[in-house]
Amino acid sequence: MRKYLAVLRGQMMRGLAYRSGFFISIVGNLVFIGVLYFLWRSVYSGRDQINGLTFDQTLLYVALGSTVFILLKTHVDWVMSFEIREGAVVIYLIKPVDYQMVMLTFSAGSSLLAAVIVTAPTIALLVWGLGIGWPIGVGTALAPLALILAFLISFCFDYSVGLSGFYTESMWGLGIVKDTLVVVLSGALIPLQFFPESLREILLWLPFQAVYHVPLMMITQPDRPLGVQLTALGVQVLWAVALFGLTRLFYSRAIRVLRIAGG
Amino acid sequence: MALIHTEDLSKHFKILNRRQGLAGSVRDLFSRDYRTVRAVDGVSFDIEPGEIVGYIGPNGAGKSTTIKMMTGILKPTSGTILVNGQVPYENRIRQARTMGVVFGQRSQLWWELPVIESFRILKEIYGVDQQSFDKQMAMFDSLVGIGELYSQQVRTLSLGQRMLCDITAAFLHNPSVVFLDEPTIGLDVSIKAKIRSLIEELNRAHNTTIILTTHDLGDVEALSRRLIIIDKGTILYDGSTEKVSDLVGSYRTLKVQLSQQDGGNLNDGVRDRFGEDDGVSVQPEEDGWTAITIDQGRVPLSDVLNHVMTTSQVADVRIEEISMESVVKRIYDGALR
Repeated sequence: MRKYLAVLRGQMMRGLAYRSGFFISIVGNLVFIGVLYFLWRSVYSGRDQINGLTFDQTLLYVALGSTVFILLKTHVDWVMSFEIREGAVVIYLIKPVDYQMVMLTFSAGSSLLAAVIVTAPTIALLVWGLGIGWPIGVGTALAPLALILAFLISFCFDYSVGLSGFYTESMWGLGIVKDTLVVVLSGALIPLQFFPESLREILLWLPFQAVYHVPLMMITQPDRPLGVQLTALGVQVLWAVALFGLTRLFYSRAIRVLRIAGG
Repeated sequence: MALIHTEDLSKHFKILNRRQGLAGSVRDLFSRDYRTVRAVDGVSFDIEPGEIVGYIGPNGAGKSTTIKMMTGILKPTSGTILVNGQVPYENRIRQARTMGVVFGQRSQLWWELPVIESFRILKEIYGVDQQSFDKQMAMFDSLVGIGELYSQQVRTLSLGQRMLCDITAAFLHNPSVVFLDEPTIGLDVSIKAKIRSLIEELNRAHNTTIILTTHDLGDVEALSRRLIIIDKGTILYDGSTEKVSDLVGSYRTLKVQLSQQDGGNLNDGVRDRFGEDDGVSVQPEEDGWTAITIDQGRVPLSDVLNHVMTTSQVADVRIEEISMESVVKRIYDGALR
């Protein structure tokens, strides 16, 4: 475990090494939140509620959606495809480390950094800058756990696309398909309440909504019945376990290709 | 017991035969037309603890493929390979603790971070305790004075400084065997000498076995008593470095660039004067250069140079050691038998 903590620390230091990028991220995100504010303000002009959501709830949902997106997007698919193509992947294979754990740690390091650079300022802007009411309830307490599970599921998506790099030299197309699926079907772009009833019923059982919809609902509507929230959490746990198992299996197959066909 | 044991070790790759042109590329999408490349083909050798072995050969000879099998990255197509009595690819994580690897063209240090941070991360990855860590770091500093580089970002290091750090990093966890793949590639003479003495000291400090692949015969001559030459996947020579250096040491390549295009005349002139019997051969090259290979055991280089200077208008002259390719060719021709 200590070795992955050291890698985590290194990854965060690496993120901080690019100082100008650090500050640009903070400012860029705040500007984006401003744009969202004015966009949804005009959508809500003259109306109190749309699809059962108030302006505050919707803005909180989409604004947090974008920061949570940055928090959960691991980019590990791009990193891996680059490293596999360049042959840099051998650096991990000659060390006493588990490749998936190193990749997970890299992602966790970047996300922790993003939590400080992007998420914290966003919350500050929403609450103090724009005066959005922040609802408190059971869901507020469950949200951190839901976020961690969402991170693991999101990692599995990105990691499996990355692993496909062992088979094909270009995973660009696959990466785009995955990103689109996740963004649209997870409720990151548009809240799932805005989807037709029948489609929403199906989506609620897919792993995509476990990434954005579940934690975002817990934060924006923390007062829903406990049973509903725990079920959502349970679905997340199931998907996280299932996807981790699948990616393990995928890795052992993919690494065999490398072992036999060469890097 | 041998630290590394290989027997009839082979690695074959299946490679798609690519067609030419755009139409060919489209047809390649569905092609099943493969050919087999025998990267390593029936290699056997034993390496004892504490040895420094030079593992050399021209480009594409199978050096890196052998290293990748010894480190457990690649699985052999057939044959036996044991490192520390274990099959490398079967228990990769446990095996990795006992090995160190340096790929000359690829750094294992963290590019954006100060050097010392990479060492700290490696310390945790290999589970090195603080006391051994301090001891190793003190030794590295006394050997090459890398202490002053610790606070520098890796990306700001020169190639030579980076290589010193990469090599010491591979020794940090005190492995029983270290693989150095082209550690002196692209470095100038003075830093090469520094790296050679570092490798020698590190070998001596803990009796670490070192496998060294290189293009530069000088590395091997300076470091290892034993030399394995591989070409086209098979072992061409496995024996003392001395014998090969005797062979190579007496050969030099004299490269001459003429001020006008009379390469043909020079060719004939040198041939008339010395002839093949004297071990002199002439080979015209690009851009008006001519390569004259000389066996100094038979004809002094100064004689040939003198002859060329007096009979032709010479614009530029270079003297080079014999290339890896020519060494291999000479061994094929039976020079060591």
